[in-house]
Amino acid sequence: MVTISTMAAVAIDGLAFGVFLALLGVGITLVFGLGEVLNLSIGVFSVIAVLIASWAVNSGQGVIVAAVIGVLVAAGIGLLVDRTLLSLVYRSTGEERILLGIFVTLGLTVFLDGFFINGLSLTSGIAIPSFPGSYGLPVDLPTVTIGAAVVRSSSLVVIGVGAVALAILFSFLRLTYLGKATRTVFQDEQGAQLVGVNPRRIRTLIFVLSVTVAGIAGVVWAVGQTVSVADGFQYTTFALIVSIVGGVRSLGGAIVAGVLLGFVNQFANFFVGSYVATVILFGAAIVFLLAKPEAIA
Amino acid sequence: MNALPRGELGRVGLVTALLAIAPLPVLGSSYYESILAHLVVVAMFGVALNIVFGQTDQLFLFMGGLAGVGGYGTAIMADEFGVTAWLTLPIAAFIAGLIGVAVSWVSAKRKFTVVLISILTLNLQIVLSEVFVGARGLTGGSTGFPYRYFSLDTIAGPIGVGEKLVLYYVLLVLLFALLVLYVWLVNSRFGVAFAAIREDEVAASSIGVDVVRYKVIAGFIAAFVFGFVGAFYAREAAYILPGSFAFLTVDVLVLIVLIVGGLRTTLGPVVGAGIVVALEEVLVQSFTDWREPIFGLMLIFLFLYFRSGVVPVLDDLVERYAPWNDGDADPPPEGTAD
Repeated sequence: MVTISTMAAVAIDGLAFGVFLALLGVGITLVFGLGEVLNLSIGVFSVIAVLIASWAVNSGQGVIVAAVIGVLVAAGIGLLVDRTLLSLVYRSTGEERILLGIFVTLGLTVFLDGFFINGLSLTSGIAIPSFPGSYGLPVDLPTVTIGAAVVRSSSLVVIGVGAVALAILFSFLRLTYLGKATRTVFQDEQGAQLVGVNPRRIRTLIFVLSVTVAGIAGVVWAVGQTVSVADGFQYTTFALIVSIVGGVRSLGGAIVAGVLLGFVNQFANFFVGSYVATVILFGAAIVFLLAKPEAIA
Repeated sequence: MNALPRGELGRVGLVTALLAIAPLPVLGSSYYESILAHLVVVAMFGVALNIVFGQTDQLFLFMGGLAGVGGYGTAIMADEFGVTAWLTLPIAAFIAGLIGVAVSWVSAKRKFTVVLISILTLNLQIVLSEVFVGARGLTGGSTGFPYRYFSLDTIAGPIGVGEKLVLYYVLLVLLFALLVLYVWLVNSRFGVAFAAIREDEVAASSIGVDVVRYKVIAGFIAAFVFGFVGAFYAREAAYILPGSFAFLTVDVLVLIVLIVGGLRTTLGPVVGAGIVVALEEVLVQSFTDWREPIFGLMLIFLFLYFRSGVVPVLDDLVERYAPWNDGDADPPPEGTAD
């Protein structure tokens, strides 16, 4: 017999997974909406943030400081990628650019995956550590009782931090000058250029912002779960599903879709097992793609 | 039927002949026989992608999944019905082919762009991967099972050579047949239709080219080949695992092979497979762990700077500097051995 309180606990976990998905989906949507690049390496940035944060914790930092370091490193690598690889991608236009973006970011995923598994020891004594196992952030949180439901507090961390991050992102886009400039590029690139907005700069800003969001998604997710390098591509495919279901140019859509799919996945997980749940998740994306392909084209 | 271009066929024959004598210097080394067999398998995957992506712009990113359908399907049906895998192989490949038909038909009907097809098939790839891992009762889950089908003892025994070598020659015959099929396809009315569709789909359909039909045919052939070769891919490894059919294992490899060799060239997949498999072996010898990062960098570099591939570059060089060759339009008569 499944009790109401169990259902409530599943729902909270579902919401947490949903917020995680929403953050990833927003990461893909931002970049695609603005630059027509489908960033198939987004999940790796989540993983990078976790790896660096866990490494920082092991070097004696506090968890929160470590998480911030992790997100900043992910953002820094994002900036580097934007200035180098994406600059090359942006030279082409239209479908050509989308295709090129897919392959370049896919290659980046494969490269970074392998790179972080191996680490690198340079002769000058500088070493980039390797990350062969799986990593979490050691936050010792008790379970919380809400009403009759016993809830994992890691889920509450994901929901809380994720919601704040999304709120900040939206306020930035709605309220600041830079955010408004960003939205003008979204809507009318030529018009934006005419009033003195540099679209390339805005794209850089947005790319760094999107991988920062992905990094935040990673570190909050790692509070309750362990994350390994190999998970990166899976997170990317999650992000892809969310943006397909939500419509790849709609940030609000990404959030709604993320939360919805989080619930679907967690309840399917509870009732029919994790493997069928994953099939349902990706099956949903396929159905949405077939039903309304114009959302992503 | 149109006459096949003798120059192209000659080159196919030449490459097949080279591959046929390749095991002789190292006869008995099952290590090299494995590498060569792997090369031929990868080349066949490349030809299949060349048909569906090269010819009709349908980017199938579930090549691993289709190969898995062939590999698992053949084994599961053979065990289930208690018959030889040689019988269940065409059935499994046909099922893979039908999946290709479904994808091509829906995406052609709904006028999916190449990007949409790639996203759709990537999702299908993940579903298939999940099924290979999750359907433990059938697939053995993530532990897999030994793959000892396609017994060739009846041939290998009497001749007195290893089964591995016989398997290699079986694969080589398949590659040769597939390359001939490719040459025939692109030089028949199919090729004309493919080219018209690539140039301008609307214009093609306005002059009476049935766009949906041709895309579906290309989708079927490619998916069938992936399924068919997928069984040998598992046989060659002697063990079947979900991970062998993952996106990052198969699809990335085949994409690199085709781009290195040359998209829409007959021998591109073979040349690409040769280069990539050789590179893999060098990496295995010296630094195994760096296979993945190097492949990632290759993928980026190739798509940014080298999308034409090796074969067109070689063609150009031959055309420019070789005195006996006066260009593709008039191929030399001596290249007709097949």
